[in-house]
Amino acid sequence: MVFFGSILFFCMITILIYQGFVKLQNRLNQVWLNPMLFSVITIIALLMWFQIDYHTYQTNSQIITWLLQPAVVALGYPLYQQLHSMRSQWKSITILLTISASLVVIISFLFTYIITKEYGISVSIALKSITTPIALAITEQLNGNQAVTAFAIILAGLFGALMGVPWLQLIGVKSHKAQGIAVGAASHVLGTATISQLSFQHAAYGSLALIISATITAIISPAIIHQLMVMLS
Amino acid sequence: MPAPLYSIIVILICLFAGYGINFAVGGLPPSLYGMMLFTISLHYKLIDDKTVANSISWTLKNMGVCFVPAGVGIIEHYDLVRSHGIAMVIITFVTTWLLLTFVGWTVQQQENKKAR
Repeated sequence: MVFFGSILFFCMITILIYQGFVKLQNRLNQVWLNPMLFSVITIIALLMWFQIDYHTYQTNSQIITWLLQPAVVALGYPLYQQLHSMRSQWKSITILLTISASLVVIISFLFTYIITKEYGISVSIALKSITTPIALAITEQLNGNQAVTAFAIILAGLFGALMGVPWLQLIGVKSHKAQGIAVGAASHVLGTATISQLSFQHAAYGSLALIISATITAIISPAIIHQLMVMLS
Repeated sequence: MPAPLYSIIVILICLFAGYGINFAVGGLPPSLYGMMLFTISLHYKLIDDKTVANSISWTLKNMGVCFVPAGVGIIEHYDLVRSHGIAMVIITFVTTWLLLTFVGWTVQQQENKKAR
């Protein structure tokens, strides 16, 4: 009973804090007041304040993390709604995302390797643009550092979630389709979840882009990173 | 059957089928196979789209909370963050920004061309 009680306690706290920030954001209408980011900061502060071990929090809040999986399945709905309008375009989207995914893996890996001289970290940073489960699987396959991958994925996700749409608006990228594809490709599920609140088109193209990007990166990144290491050594 | 219950059941069926595909052929994670199956099932009318609509928009509105526990995990890697943190953050931000700009701008150009 004690065990069940603590699961309930940590899940309720997480949801309440998150909902609190959602309400606050709705009232103040500020983009930077991202509920995800501020919930993370608040919970870290609370854990440190009450000297609660992270593992205690993690094991008791696992259900919330697991719920991400059915939520990802739900992203298939906006995808379905846009299916008819996408059919003629998905070839060109795939070509574009193959180019962009290759470039981002090459650039991220090279820069990180030159600066840190650490192979593990470089692999992790190279894979940060795709959805967590795939990125972690490839990181393991290429002997990268899984903790860094998880960390970099959240950073990339938050960046796209917070800055993505405002920045794209600023440079004249105004179509919902372009914004959705860009955020889905650069900031995976986290970015897509955030922009899904804007319109169903954002959600649909974001989901499409994140699926294609993740699939392509899973296929090409082992070969690219292997080739880069041969060239560097 | 009430709509939310129907939605939960069909989503879980897709997810578990996703686990099956992942187990059989590997490759993508179960949830992404599940997403594809969900899309296909809706397309071929195996799932009624009107029944699931409300539950889906509720889910999409609230799914951000699912990232919070993983995000809190950053405190586990304090040492790593201290030694390479700044470089990691800068490279991640710059490359993410490049990717966003490149993809967004290219699609927008295609859209503009079509509109003309």
